Amino acid sequence: MTLFHFGNCFSLAYFPYFITYKCSGLSEYNAFWRCVQAGATYLFVQLCKMLFLATFFPTWEGGAGVYDFVGEFMKATVDLADLLGLHLVMSRNAGKGEYKIMVAAMGWATAELIMSRCIPLWVGARGIEFDWKYIQMSFDSNISLVHYIAMAAVVWMFTRYDLPKSFRLPVTILLGLCVYKGFLME
Amino acid sequence: MFEEASEVLENMLKWSFPLSLVLFLVLVCPLRAEAAHEFSVYRMQQYDLQGQTYGSRNAILNTEARTVDAEVLSRRCVMVRLADFSYEKYQKALRQSAGAVVIILPQNMSTMPQDIVQQFMELEPELLATETIVPVYFALEDEELLSIYTQTQISSSSQGSSSAAEGTSRLLLHTATANGFQMVTSGAQSKAVSDWAITSLEGRLTGAGGEDLPTIVLVAHYDSFGVAPWLSYGADSNGSGVAVLLELARLFSRLYSYKRTHAGYNLLFFLSGGGKFNYQGTKRWLEDNLDHTDSSLLQDNVAFVLCLDTLGNSDNLHLHVSKPPKEGSPQHALLRELETVAAHQHPDLKFSMVHKKINLADDTLAWEHERFGIRRLPAFTLSHLESHRSPARHSIMDMRPHVDLTKLSRNTKVIAEALARVIYNLTEKASYVRISQHLQVQEDQLASLVDWLTAQPRAAQLLDKDSSIVNTLEYYLSRYLKDVKRHLVRADKRDPEFVFYDQLKQTMNAYRVKPAIFDLLLAVCIASYLGVLYLAVQNFGLLYGFLRRVTAPRVKQH
Repeated sequence: MTLFHFGNCFSLAYFPYFITYKCSGLSEYNAFWRCVQAGATYLFVQLCKMLFLATFFPTWEGGAGVYDFVGEFMKATVDLADLLGLHLVMSRNAGKGEYKIMVAAMGWATAELIMSRCIPLWVGARGIEFDWKYIQMSFDSNISLVHYIAMAAVVWMFTRYDLPKSFRLPVTILLGLCVYKGFLME
Repeated sequence: MFEEASEVLENMLKWSFPLSLVLFLVLVCPLRAEAAHEFSVYRMQQYDLQGQTYGSRNAILNTEARTVDAEVLSRRCVMVRLADFSYEKYQKALRQSAGAVVIILPQNMSTMPQDIVQQFMELEPELLATETIVPVYFALEDEELLSIYTQTQISSSSQGSSSAAEGTSRLLLHTATANGFQMVTSGAQSKAVSDWAITSLEGRLTGAGGEDLPTIVLVAHYDSFGVAPWLSYGADSNGSGVAVLLELARLFSRLYSYKRTHAGYNLLFFLSGGGKFNYQGTKRWLEDNLDHTDSSLLQDNVAFVLCLDTLGNSDNLHLHVSKPPKEGSPQHALLRELETVAAHQHPDLKFSMVHKKINLADDTLAWEHERFGIRRLPAFTLSHLESHRSPARHSIMDMRPHVDLTKLSRNTKVIAEALARVIYNLTEKASYVRISQHLQVQEDQLASLVDWLTAQPRAAQLLDKDSSIVNTLEYYLSRYLKDVKRHLVRADKRDPEFVFYDQLKQTMNAYRVKPAIFDLLLAVCIASYLGVLYLAVQNFGLLYGFLRRVTAPRVKQH
């Protein structure tokens, strides 16, 4: 609507990240560069996913209203690459203990925020027309921050070899939920 | 943290200069937001005639919308529906220096009650007479525009009732979250169109029997006029006149093609442009023919000039003259024949002569025949209107339903018969019967002509010499007449008789906006949310400990 509105949405989207970074003590561990590395890994993973999707899944020429279950299922499976990426980040990135999770999740979520939310906000929120969707988008980025932290934690738990057996099942279920979240919501 | 951040960013920037350049370009590119609704608006007339300026001067718009009953109207776009429109409200908007006025017309004018239509028709000249800086637009109503209007009305009227007994906090909340609309037009400021050419068309049927034959001239102006040029379809005035003229051309060209019925009169047909702007086409044509040419049909023996203006309705027919015709002259013969034909064959038609002297002190001439009268050519105008000031001649409400085809064809028959009687000098009935078989007026021909003429607006500002209407008329005339010529009128450079302005049709965008207070409110909400978040994260340890305590008994059991 105006630059002020853009400022509102921007702060709504970015400040939680800022707060999380400051308050979780990451700054004491000089982890900024590692977060950036995690973000770069995110970009790389997204690129691979896109190439894979473009090559192996041609556009489905079907009716407009029918939802292609199988196709979308396959596409969602590709999102497993996200989990692999997180795992990669956490295993390679030297970080101490639980901070690995935080570093990986922060970097990942920040990269996603910048890539997918910055430009729509800039172009859209600054326009004359007002739409609730920009506030929704900013709030959505908050939720995805929490989501990525949880996802990273679950991935880490999955890879721990000393995890009690009884916890395996809920962990796998949660992981599955993460991946197919978009698919299930349809 | 900021030092290392800046280091990192510096490194990144050095290697990604192209990227940052692209980013810079993206940042400074102009914004183009999608509008809530986009619709065409038609601007009110703007023209200068003989040095006098008329109409709305301005064209650009970027203002908030309000309806006419709101308190504060200055620098706002006032939206008004046709049903609620009145001159006082219009004056009120102008007095408060409103940003613009948008009048919403219904898609189908026939749904409007007649008295509102009549009232608006009478208001049109008054709207044009007062020269305003405020742009006045007309828009056709559709669902979205109607919803925008009702929303604006609700918010406008609620602002007025701010002294109600509601709690201030609730009122504040209401005004802060209300939906407002910003109206923005595309297009530039209006400026004068240079070198506009008004086209007129002439064609002739030469009489039999050598030189020095008397000439009868039939004239009709083909342009239309209304308060908004793009909405002036001019069905009755003067689409009906053009249809009659073209039908007469067809009939007489048939008669002239047979040797037996080839009469001793030259027939000159003239479709003039710029008729509603004080008959510019006719004026220049006369000057060219009488002053600048050596020989022309108009210079020699002219029997009379018959102008056709608004013949598509009602049971009256008036012959307007500036001088009553003398006995024994061809004009008198025509007058007599018209009376006879009307009385004997169409008793429902009331025919009369109206005498009005030419008043040169007036701003504009009354009827087209006065142009000829000034040049001492005998002329009269045939019309079903009694007065040239009738609002039906200059209205956007003059659309196809205003023309009654049976009455139009009846009038055409009357005119054709009366002309035939004068041309063939028919006094007895026998020879008349021979002619009458060729004088069949085709009603569907008239119908299709009127339908075609009213399918698009024919304001003089919209018809340049390449327009399809002019080309089609030329083609039609050349099918029946010989020597079809175009005649162009351009305004004089130094002392223009007429000046037209552009930007007559624009696209208006309505954007949904929230008032400025809303932004502040949102900022306050976000600040409080962030504060809560900060506290939550700071004290996360507490939350964690609490959760552990809750889940601990379960672990212990395990």
